[in-house]
Amino acid sequence: MKVYITGQGTLTSLGNSVEESWKGLSEGRTGVRAYPEWKQYNGLHSHLGAPVGAYDISRIPRQTRRTMSRMSEMASLATFQALAQADLAPGAGLNTARTCLIMGSTSGSPDTLETYFRKLFEKGGPEGQFSTSFFKVMNHSVAANVAAALEFNGALLAPSSACASSAQAMILGWELIRSGMYDTVIAGGADELHYMTAAIFDIVQAASRKYNDTPDLSPRPFDKARDGLVVSEGAAVVVMESEKAMQARGGRPIAEFLGGAYLCDSTHMSQSSAETMNAVMKLALERAGRRLDDVDYVNAHATGTVHGDIEESRAIGATFGKKVPVSSLKGHFGHTLAACGTLEVISSIKMMETGTLIPTRNLGEIAPECSEIQHVTLANARPARLRTVLSNNFAFGGMNTSLVIGGLGKSS
Amino acid sequence: MNDQMSLSNEIQTKVNDLFIKGFEIPSEKLTPTASLYEDLGLDSLDAVDMLVHLEETFKIKVDGERLMEVRTLQNVYDLVAEVARNAGSETVAQHAPALTANV
Repeated sequence: MKVYITGQGTLTSLGNSVEESWKGLSEGRTGVRAYPEWKQYNGLHSHLGAPVGAYDISRIPRQTRRTMSRMSEMASLATFQALAQADLAPGAGLNTARTCLIMGSTSGSPDTLETYFRKLFEKGGPEGQFSTSFFKVMNHSVAANVAAALEFNGALLAPSSACASSAQAMILGWELIRSGMYDTVIAGGADELHYMTAAIFDIVQAASRKYNDTPDLSPRPFDKARDGLVVSEGAAVVVMESEKAMQARGGRPIAEFLGGAYLCDSTHMSQSSAETMNAVMKLALERAGRRLDDVDYVNAHATGTVHGDIEESRAIGATFGKKVPVSSLKGHFGHTLAACGTLEVISSIKMMETGTLIPTRNLGEIAPECSEIQHVTLANARPARLRTVLSNNFAFGGMNTSLVIGGLGKSS
Repeated sequence: MNDQMSLSNEIQTKVNDLFIKGFEIPSEKLTPTASLYEDLGLDSLDAVDMLVHLEETFKIKVDGERLMEVRTLQNVYDLVAEVARNAGSETVAQHAPALTANV
Protein backbone atom coordinates (compact mmCIF):
# COMPACT_ATOMS: atom_id res chain seq x y z
CA MET A 1 0.00 0.00 0.00
CA LYS A 2 1.41 3.36 -1.02
CA VAL A 3 1.38 6.32 1.36
CA TYR A 4 1.49 9.86 0.03
CA ILE A 5 2.15 13.25 1.54
CA THR A 6 -0.69 15.49 0.44
CA GLY A 7 -0.27 18.56 2.62
CA GLN A 8 2.56 20.49 4.27
CA GLY A 9 2.77 23.38 6.69
CA THR A 10 5.53 25.07 8.60
CA LEU A 11 6.59 28.08 10.65
CA THR A 12 10.34 28.57 10.89
CA SER A 13 12.89 31.24 11.60
CA LEU A 14 13.05 31.78 7.83
CA GLY A 15 9.33 32.35 7.34
CA ASN A 16 5.83 31.40 8.35
CA SER A 17 5.00 29.13 5.43
CA VAL A 18 6.55 26.40 3.32
CA GLU A 19 7.20 28.83 0.47
CA GLU A 20 8.77 31.53 2.66
CA SER A 21 10.99 28.99 4.40
CA TRP A 22 12.02 27.51 1.08
CA LYS A 23 12.82 30.97 -0.26
CA GLY A 24 15.09 31.54 2.73
CA LEU A 25 16.79 28.20 2.17
CA SER A 26 17.25 28.86 -1.54
CA GLU A 27 18.81 32.23 -0.80
CA GLY A 28 21.15 30.70 1.76
CA ARG A 29 19.80 32.82 4.60
CA THR A 30 19.93 32.03 8.29
CA GLY A 31 17.37 32.58 11.02
CA VAL A 32 20.02 32.62 13.73
CA ARG A 33 20.50 35.78 15.76
CA ALA A 34 22.36 36.85 18.86
CA TYR A 35 20.66 36.71 22.25
CA PRO A 36 22.81 39.02 24.39
CA GLU A 37 19.98 39.08 26.96
CA TRP A 38 20.85 35.47 27.79
CA LYS A 39 24.14 36.65 29.28
CA GLN A 40 22.21 37.27 32.51
CA TYR A 41 21.83 33.54 33.09
CA ASN A 42 24.74 32.29 35.16
CA GLY A 43 26.56 29.40 33.59
CA LEU A 44 24.96 29.75 30.16
CA HIS A 45 27.60 30.23 27.49
CA SER A 46 25.53 29.93 24.30
CA HIS A 47 23.76 33.18 23.45
CA LEU A 48 22.37 32.28 20.04
CA GLY A 49 18.90 31.32 18.85
CA ALA A 50 16.69 31.27 15.77
CA PRO A 51 13.24 32.66 16.59
CA VAL A 52 10.10 32.47 14.51
CA GLY A 53 8.79 35.90 13.51
CA ALA A 54 5.43 37.38 14.40
CA TYR A 55 2.37 35.37 13.44
CA ASP A 56 -1.37 35.89 13.65
CA ILE A 57 -3.20 33.44 15.91
CA SER A 58 -6.50 35.30 15.99
CA ARG A 59 -8.34 32.68 13.92
CA ILE A 60 -8.21 30.38 16.95
CA PRO A 61 -10.89 31.22 19.54
CA ARG A 62 -9.71 32.49 22.92
CA GLN A 63 -10.96 29.46 24.84
CA THR A 64 -8.86 27.21 22.64
CA ARG A 65 -5.90 29.57 22.58
CA ARG A 66 -5.75 30.05 26.36
CA THR A 67 -4.12 26.64 26.88
CA MET A 68 -1.56 27.14 24.13
CA SER A 69 2.04 28.14 24.51
CA ARG A 70 4.01 29.21 21.45
CA MET A 71 4.71 25.65 20.38
CA SER A 72 1.01 24.80 20.22
CA GLU A 73 0.18 28.05 18.45
CA MET A 74 2.81 27.42 15.79
CA ALA A 75 1.80 23.77 15.43
CA SER A 76 -1.85 24.74 14.99
CA LEU A 77 -1.03 27.27 12.28
CA ALA A 78 1.24 24.79 10.49
CA THR A 79 -1.53 22.19 10.65
CA PHE A 80 -4.04 24.60 9.15
CA GLN A 81 -1.58 25.23 6.31
CA ALA A 82 -1.10 21.49 5.72
CA LEU A 83 -4.84 20.79 5.70
CA ALA A 84 -5.46 23.69 3.34
CA GLN A 85 -2.87 22.37 0.88
CA ALA A 86 -4.38 18.89 1.15
CA ASP A 87 -7.81 20.42 0.58
CA LEU A 88 -9.10 18.90 3.80
CA ALA A 89 -11.27 20.96 6.12
CA PRO A 90 -10.78 20.88 9.90
CA GLY A 91 -13.63 19.57 12.05
CA ALA A 92 -16.26 17.77 10.01
CA GLY A 93 -13.87 17.59 7.05
CA LEU A 94 -11.90 14.83 8.75
CA ASN A 95 -13.18 11.28 9.08
CA THR A 96 -12.39 10.80 12.74
CA ALA A 97 -12.73 7.02 12.65
CA ARG A 98 -10.03 6.74 10.00
CA THR A 99 -7.79 9.71 10.82
CA CYS A 100 -5.02 9.84 13.39
CA LEU A 101 -3.30 12.99 14.64
CA ILE A 102 0.29 12.38 15.77
CA MET A 103 2.26 15.34 17.05
CA GLY A 104 5.12 15.72 19.48
CA SER A 105 7.41 18.15 21.24
CA THR A 106 10.54 17.77 23.32
CA SER A 107 8.69 18.68 26.50
CA GLY A 108 5.86 20.91 27.59
CA SER A 109 6.36 24.66 27.26
CA PRO A 110 9.68 25.63 28.90
CA ASP A 111 8.49 29.21 29.17
CA THR A 112 5.40 28.19 31.14
CA LEU A 113 7.39 25.69 33.19
CA GLU A 114 9.70 28.49 34.28
CA THR A 115 6.81 30.78 35.20
CA TYR A 116 5.00 27.97 36.99
CA PHE A 117 7.94 26.93 39.13
CA ARG A 118 9.09 30.47 39.87
CA LYS A 119 5.64 31.14 41.31
CA LEU A 120 5.52 27.79 43.09
CA PHE A 121 8.79 28.48 44.91
CA GLU A 122 7.94 32.11 45.54
CA LYS A 123 4.56 31.25 47.09
CA GLY A 124 5.77 28.08 48.79
CA GLY A 125 3.00 26.11 47.11
CA PRO A 126 0.48 26.16 44.27
CA GLU A 127 -1.26 29.35 45.41
CA GLY A 128 -2.04 31.69 42.54
CA GLN A 129 -1.42 29.23 39.71
CA PHE A 130 -3.52 29.68 36.61
CA SER A 131 -5.80 26.77 35.74
CA THR A 132 -4.53 26.84 32.18
CA SER A 133 -0.80 26.43 32.99
CA PHE A 134 -0.81 22.66 33.17
CA PHE A 135 -2.29 22.39 29.68
CA LYS A 136 0.76 24.23 28.38
CA VAL A 137 3.31 22.11 30.20
CA MET A 138 1.90 18.61 29.86
CA ASN A 139 3.94 16.46 27.50
CA HIS A 140 1.10 16.07 25.00
CA SER A 141 0.29 19.77 25.05
CA VAL A 142 1.00 20.31 21.35
CA ALA A 143 -1.06 17.32 20.22
CA ALA A 144 -4.00 18.12 22.48
CA ASN A 145 -4.05 21.80 21.59
CA VAL A 146 -3.82 21.15 17.86
CA ALA A 147 -6.70 18.69 18.18
CA ALA A 148 -8.72 21.37 19.97
CA ALA A 149 -7.90 23.94 17.29
CA LEU A 150 -9.01 21.52 14.58
CA GLU A 151 -12.08 20.41 16.54
CA PHE A 152 -10.71 16.94 15.95
CA ASN A 153 -12.23 14.01 17.86
CA GLY A 154 -10.29 11.07 16.45
CA ALA A 155 -7.21 9.16 17.59
CA LEU A 156 -4.51 11.36 19.09
CA LEU A 157 -0.92 10.34 19.83
CA ALA A 158 1.99 12.39 21.11
CA PRO A 159 5.43 10.88 20.61
CA SER A 160 7.88 12.87 22.69
CA SER A 161 11.39 11.95 21.67
CA ALA A 162 13.10 15.34 21.57
CA CYS A 163 14.73 15.99 18.20
CA ALA A 164 13.29 12.80 16.69
CA SER A 165 9.68 13.54 17.68
CA SER A 166 8.24 14.54 14.32
CA ALA A 167 10.28 11.96 12.44
CA GLN A 168 8.82 9.33 14.73
CA ALA A 169 5.35 10.80 14.22
CA MET A 170 5.65 10.41 10.45
CA ILE A 171 7.13 6.92 10.58
CA LEU A 172 4.44 5.82 13.03
CA GLY A 173 1.86 7.39 10.72
CA TRP A 174 3.24 5.43 7.80
CA GLU A 175 3.07 2.22 9.84
CA LEU A 176 -0.51 2.88 10.91
CA ILE A 177 -1.70 3.66 7.39
CA ARG A 178 0.09 0.60 6.03
CA SER A 179 -1.52 -1.52 8.73
CA GLY A 180 -4.92 -0.55 7.35
CA MET A 181 -6.06 0.95 10.63
CA TYR A 182 -6.14 4.52 9.33
CA ASP A 183 -6.47 6.25 5.97
CA THR A 184 -5.09 9.62 6.98
CA VAL A 185 -2.45 10.76 9.46
CA ILE A 186 -1.65 14.34 10.35
CA ALA A 187 1.91 14.19 11.65
CA GLY A 188 4.49 16.67 12.86
CA GLY A 189 6.13 18.40 15.75
CA ALA A 190 6.90 21.74 17.33
CA ASP A 191 9.09 23.36 19.94
CA GLU A 192 9.55 26.88 21.27
CA LEU A 193 12.75 28.79 21.85
CA HIS A 194 13.82 29.29 25.45
CA TYR A 195 17.14 29.81 27.18
CA MET A 196 16.61 26.61 29.19
CA THR A 197 16.68 24.61 25.97
CA ALA A 198 19.97 26.23 25.03
CA ALA A 199 21.18 25.40 28.53
CA ILE A 200 20.36 21.70 28.13
CA PHE A 201 22.83 21.50 25.25
CA ASP A 202 25.23 24.01 26.76
CA ILE A 203 25.64 21.94 29.91
CA VAL A 204 26.88 18.99 27.85
CA GLN A 205 29.03 21.35 25.76
CA ALA A 206 26.96 20.73 22.64
CA ALA A 207 25.73 24.31 22.09
CA SER A 208 27.64 26.85 20.05
CA ARG A 209 29.33 29.49 22.21
CA LYS A 210 32.22 30.89 20.16
CA TYR A 211 30.03 32.75 17.72
CA ASN A 212 27.86 34.77 20.11
CA ASP A 213 28.96 37.97 18.42
CA THR A 214 28.81 36.58 14.88
CA PRO A 215 25.51 34.65 14.76
CA ASP A 216 25.66 34.43 11.00
CA LEU A 217 28.58 32.02 11.28
CA SER A 218 26.95 29.36 13.46
CA PRO A 219 26.02 26.54 13.53
CA ARG A 220 28.56 25.00 11.17
CA PRO A 221 27.63 21.38 10.46
CA PHE A 222 30.60 19.23 9.39
CA ASP A 223 32.91 22.28 9.40
CA LYS A 224 36.33 22.17 11.02
CA ALA A 225 35.49 25.22 13.12
CA ARG A 226 32.08 24.01 14.34
CA ASP A 227 31.49 24.29 18.06
CA GLY A 228 27.94 23.11 18.65
CA LEU A 229 24.32 23.54 17.71
CA VAL A 230 22.10 26.61 17.87
CA VAL A 231 18.67 26.13 19.40
CA SER A 232 15.72 27.25 17.40
CA GLU A 233 11.96 26.91 17.29
CA GLY A 234 9.18 26.22 14.85
CA ALA A 235 6.54 23.78 13.75
CA ALA A 236 6.24 21.44 10.80
CA VAL A 237 3.29 19.26 9.85
CA VAL A 238 2.39 16.95 6.98
CA VAL A 239 -0.79 15.21 5.93
CA MET A 240 -0.18 11.57 4.98
CA GLU A 241 -2.78 9.49 3.18
CA SER A 242 -3.16 6.02 1.75
CA GLU A 243 -3.22 6.04 -2.02
CA LYS A 244 -6.74 4.63 -1.98
CA ALA A 245 -8.12 7.27 0.37
CA MET A 246 -6.39 10.07 -1.49
CA GLN A 247 -7.72 8.93 -4.84
CA ALA A 248 -11.21 8.35 -3.47
CA ARG A 249 -11.54 11.97 -2.47
CA GLY A 250 -9.65 13.37 -5.45
CA GLY A 251 -6.62 14.40 -3.39
CA ARG A 252 -3.34 15.44 -4.97
CA PRO A 253 -0.03 13.81 -4.01
CA ILE A 254 3.04 15.92 -3.25
CA ALA A 255 5.51 13.11 -2.57
CA GLU A 256 5.50 9.47 -1.59
CA PHE A 257 6.41 8.44 1.93
CA LEU A 258 8.30 5.30 1.08
CA GLY A 259 9.10 4.16 4.59
CA GLY A 260 11.18 4.65 7.66
CA ALA A 261 12.60 3.06 10.77
CA TYR A 262 13.43 3.90 14.35
CA LEU A 263 15.96 2.09 16.44
CA CYS A 264 17.16 3.11 19.87
CA ASP A 265 20.81 3.17 20.84
CA SER A 266 21.16 1.84 24.33
CA THR A 267 24.88 2.40 24.57
CA HIS A 268 24.84 6.10 25.48
CA MET A 269 22.18 8.59 26.47
CA SER A 270 23.59 11.55 24.55
CA GLN A 271 25.97 10.08 21.97
CA SER A 272 24.48 7.80 19.35
CA SER A 273 27.07 5.65 17.62
CA ALA A 274 27.82 5.40 13.92
CA GLU A 275 26.96 1.70 14.06
CA THR A 276 23.37 2.23 15.19
CA MET A 277 22.94 5.18 12.80
CA ASN A 278 24.12 2.94 10.01
CA ALA A 279 21.69 0.24 11.09
CA VAL A 280 18.70 2.55 11.13
CA MET A 281 19.44 3.91 7.66
CA LYS A 282 19.70 0.39 6.23
CA LEU A 283 16.51 -0.71 7.97
CA ALA A 284 14.66 2.36 6.69
CA LEU A 285 15.71 1.56 3.14
CA GLU A 286 14.75 -2.08 3.56
CA ARG A 287 11.33 -1.15 4.87
CA ALA A 288 10.94 1.37 2.03
CA GLY A 289 11.77 -1.33 -0.49
CA ARG A 290 14.72 0.66 -1.81
CA ARG A 291 18.39 -0.17 -2.35
CA LEU A 292 21.38 1.90 -1.33
CA ASP A 293 21.99 2.99 -4.89
CA ASP A 294 18.43 4.26 -5.24
CA VAL A 295 19.22 7.13 -2.89
CA ASP A 296 19.98 10.42 -4.65
CA TYR A 297 20.48 12.63 -1.61
CA VAL A 298 20.87 12.28 2.14
CA ASN A 299 19.51 15.00 4.37
CA ALA A 300 21.71 14.72 7.43
CA HIS A 301 20.61 15.46 10.97
CA ALA A 302 24.04 17.08 11.53
CA THR A 303 23.44 19.85 14.04
CA GLY A 304 26.97 21.18 14.20
CA THR A 305 28.06 19.37 17.36
CA VAL A 306 31.61 18.10 17.51
CA HIS A 307 30.74 14.48 18.28
CA GLY A 308 27.38 14.04 16.52
CA ASP A 309 28.58 15.27 13.14
CA ILE A 310 31.53 12.89 13.20
CA GLU A 311 29.39 9.88 14.06
CA GLU A 312 26.81 10.72 11.41
CA SER A 313 29.41 11.25 8.70
CA ARG A 314 31.00 7.94 9.64
CA ALA A 315 27.62 6.27 9.47
CA ILE A 316 26.67 7.83 6.14
CA GLY A 317 30.16 7.15 4.80
CA ALA A 318 29.96 3.51 5.86
CA THR A 319 26.52 3.21 4.23
CA PHE A 320 26.90 5.21 1.02
CA GLY A 321 30.59 6.04 0.71
CA LYS A 322 31.10 9.26 -1.24
CA LYS A 323 28.56 8.41 -3.92
CA VAL A 324 25.57 10.32 -2.55
CA PRO A 325 25.40 14.07 -1.91
CA VAL A 326 24.79 15.00 1.72
CA SER A 327 23.82 18.25 3.38
CA SER A 328 22.37 19.55 6.63
CA LEU A 329 19.87 22.40 6.98
CA LYS A 330 20.70 23.27 10.60
CA GLY A 331 22.94 26.13 9.45
CA HIS A 332 19.83 27.83 8.04
CA PHE A 333 17.10 26.99 10.53
CA GLY A 334 19.13 26.28 13.65
CA HIS A 335 17.93 23.20 15.48
CA THR A 336 14.13 23.21 15.53
CA LEU A 337 14.17 20.17 17.83
CA ALA A 338 10.85 18.29 17.63
CA ALA A 339 9.97 20.01 14.35
CA CYS A 340 13.15 19.19 12.46
CA GLY A 341 12.21 15.73 11.16
CA THR A 342 9.13 16.98 9.35
CA LEU A 343 10.71 20.29 8.40
CA GLU A 344 13.57 18.46 6.73
CA VAL A 345 11.16 16.22 4.85
CA ILE A 346 9.25 19.27 3.61
CA SER A 347 12.52 20.94 2.59
CA SER A 348 13.75 17.77 0.86
CA ILE A 349 10.49 17.57 -1.10
CA LYS A 350 11.09 21.14 -2.30
CA MET A 351 14.59 20.07 -3.38
CA MET A 352 13.06 17.17 -5.34
CA GLU A 353 10.43 19.40 -6.91
CA THR A 354 12.94 22.02 -7.98
CA GLY A 355 15.94 19.81 -8.72
CA THR A 356 18.01 21.80 -6.27
CA LEU A 357 20.50 20.68 -3.67
CA ILE A 358 20.67 23.04 -0.71
CA PRO A 359 24.27 23.19 0.50
CA THR A 360 25.24 22.96 4.15
CA ARG A 361 25.42 26.56 5.35
CA ASN A 362 28.67 27.67 6.97
CA LEU A 363 30.52 24.63 5.66
CA GLY A 364 33.80 26.22 4.60
CA GLU A 365 36.57 23.82 5.55
CA ILE A 366 35.32 20.26 5.93
CA ALA A 367 36.45 18.69 9.19
CA PRO A 368 38.87 15.83 8.47
CA GLU A 369 36.79 13.48 10.64
CA CYS A 370 33.71 14.30 8.53
CA SER A 371 35.36 13.94 5.15
CA GLU A 372 34.23 10.43 4.20
CA ILE A 373 31.03 11.64 2.57
CA GLN A 374 30.14 13.75 -0.46
CA HIS A 375 29.30 17.15 1.03
CA VAL A 376 27.09 19.65 -0.76
CA THR A 377 28.78 23.00 -0.23
CA LEU A 378 28.18 26.45 -1.61
CA ALA A 379 31.16 25.87 -3.90
CA ASN A 380 29.95 22.61 -5.44
CA ALA A 381 26.13 22.88 -5.25
CA ARG A 382 24.53 22.01 -8.56
CA PRO A 383 21.13 21.08 -9.98
CA ALA A 384 20.28 17.44 -9.44
CA ARG A 385 17.51 15.04 -10.34
CA LEU A 386 16.34 13.73 -6.99
CA ARG A 387 13.98 10.77 -7.05
CA THR A 388 14.67 9.25 -3.66
CA VAL A 389 15.81 11.06 -0.53
CA LEU A 390 16.85 9.62 2.81
CA SER A 391 16.53 11.86 5.85
CA ASN A 392 18.07 11.24 9.26
CA ASN A 393 17.18 12.48 12.72
CA PHE A 394 18.86 11.54 15.96
CA ALA A 395 17.93 12.59 19.46
CA PHE A 396 19.08 12.39 23.05
CA GLY A 397 18.12 9.11 24.60
CA GLY A 398 19.54 7.19 21.64
CA MET A 399 16.50 7.95 19.49
CA ASN A 400 17.65 7.20 15.96
CA THR A 401 15.35 7.62 12.98
CA SER A 402 15.74 7.47 9.25
CA LEU A 403 13.07 7.79 6.59
CA VAL A 404 12.79 7.67 2.83
CA ILE A 405 10.82 9.98 0.56
CA GLY A 406 10.13 9.49 -3.11
CA GLY A 407 9.49 12.10 -5.75
CA LEU A 408 6.33 11.72 -7.78
CA GLY A 409 6.38 9.19 -10.57
CA LYS A 410 10.13 8.85 -10.46
CA SER A 411 10.72 6.86 -7.32
CA SER A 412 9.60 3.40 -8.33
CA MET B 1 -19.11 58.34 51.16
CA ASN B 2 -17.17 59.85 48.31
CA ASP B 3 -14.25 57.60 49.13
CA GLN B 4 -16.51 54.57 49.00
CA MET B 5 -17.92 55.61 45.62
CA SER B 6 -14.47 56.23 44.32
CA LEU B 7 -13.34 52.81 45.49
CA SER B 8 -16.39 51.20 43.94
CA ASN B 9 -15.73 52.92 40.61
CA GLU B 10 -12.11 51.90 40.76
CA ILE B 11 -13.02 48.27 41.37
CA GLN B 12 -15.51 48.34 38.51
CA THR B 13 -12.99 49.88 36.13
CA LYS B 14 -10.26 47.42 37.00
CA VAL B 15 -12.51 44.37 36.91
CA ASN B 16 -13.84 45.44 33.52
CA ASP B 17 -10.29 45.99 32.33
CA LEU B 18 -9.48 42.46 33.44
CA PHE B 19 -12.36 41.04 31.39
CA ILE B 20 -11.38 43.09 28.33
CA LYS B 21 -7.68 42.28 28.41
CA GLY B 22 -7.66 38.89 30.10
CA PHE B 23 -10.73 37.34 28.51
CA GLU B 24 -11.09 39.42 25.35
CA ILE B 25 -14.69 40.40 26.17
CA PRO B 26 -15.93 43.47 24.24
CA SER B 27 -16.53 46.36 26.64
CA GLU B 28 -20.15 46.81 25.51
CA LYS B 29 -20.97 43.39 26.95
CA LEU B 30 -19.74 44.34 30.40
CA THR B 31 -22.98 45.29 32.09
CA PRO B 32 -23.41 44.62 35.82
CA THR B 33 -26.17 42.09 35.18
CA ALA B 34 -24.20 40.16 32.56
CA SER B 35 -23.88 36.49 33.47
CA LEU B 36 -20.24 35.40 33.48
CA TYR B 37 -21.12 32.07 31.95
CA GLU B 38 -24.14 32.59 29.69
CA ASP B 39 -23.47 36.16 28.51
CA LEU B 40 -19.69 36.50 28.69
CA GLY B 41 -18.83 32.91 27.74
CA LEU B 42 -16.56 32.04 30.66
CA ASP B 43 -16.26 28.48 31.92
CA SER B 44 -14.84 26.79 35.01
CA LEU B 45 -11.20 27.19 33.92
CA ASP B 46 -11.76 30.88 33.25
CA ALA B 47 -13.39 31.27 36.65
CA VAL B 48 -10.28 29.96 38.40
CA ASP B 49 -8.05 32.22 36.32
CA MET B 50 -10.35 35.18 37.00
CA LEU B 51 -9.80 34.61 40.70
CA VAL B 52 -6.01 34.58 40.24
CA HIS B 53 -6.22 37.80 38.22
CA LEU B 54 -8.39 39.44 40.89
CA GLU B 55 -6.02 38.40 43.66
CA GLU B 56 -3.02 39.75 41.78
CA THR B 57 -4.73 42.95 40.69
CA PHE B 58 -6.22 43.90 44.03
CA LYS B 59 -3.68 42.19 46.30
CA ILE B 60 -6.42 40.25 48.02
CA LYS B 61 -6.96 36.61 48.93
CA VAL B 62 -10.29 35.06 47.96
CA ASP B 63 -11.49 31.67 49.13
CA GLY B 64 -11.92 29.59 45.94
CA GLU B 65 -15.24 28.25 47.20
CA ARG B 66 -16.73 31.70 46.89
CA LEU B 67 -16.67 31.28 43.13
CA MET B 68 -19.89 29.31 43.55
CA GLU B 69 -21.69 32.52 44.57
CA VAL B 70 -20.45 34.52 41.63
CA ARG B 71 -22.82 34.54 38.70
CA THR B 72 -22.83 38.09 37.35
CA LEU B 73 -20.34 40.86 36.84
CA GLN B 74 -21.99 42.76 39.72
CA ASN B 75 -21.27 39.71 41.91
CA VAL B 76 -17.59 40.08 41.01
CA TYR B 77 -17.56 43.78 41.93
CA ASP B 78 -19.30 42.97 45.20
CA LEU B 79 -16.98 40.11 46.04
CA VAL B 80 -13.88 42.23 45.50
CA ALA B 81 -15.37 45.09 47.51
CA GLU B 82 -16.33 42.78 50.37
CA VAL B 83 -12.98 41.01 50.55
CA ALA B 84 -11.12 44.30 50.26
CA ARG B 85 -13.30 45.88 52.96
CA ASN B 86 -12.65 42.99 55.31
CA ALA B 87 -8.96 43.12 54.61
CA GLY B 88 -8.85 46.91 54.84
CA SER B 89 -9.77 49.00 51.83
CA GLU B 90 -6.39 50.70 51.83
CA THR B 91 -4.99 47.55 50.31
CA VAL B 92 -7.02 48.08 47.17
CA ALA B 93 -6.42 51.78 46.96
CA GLN B 94 -2.68 51.39 47.39
CA HIS B 95 -1.93 48.50 45.16
CA ALA B 96 -4.56 48.21 42.47
CA PRO B 97 -3.47 51.04 40.17
CA ALA B 98 0.01 49.66 39.65
CA LEU B 99 -1.07 46.10 39.09
CA THR B 100 -3.44 46.24 36.16
CA ALA B 101 -0.61 45.48 33.78
CA ASN B 102 -0.52 41.98 35.22
CA VAL B 103 -3.90 41.16 33.73
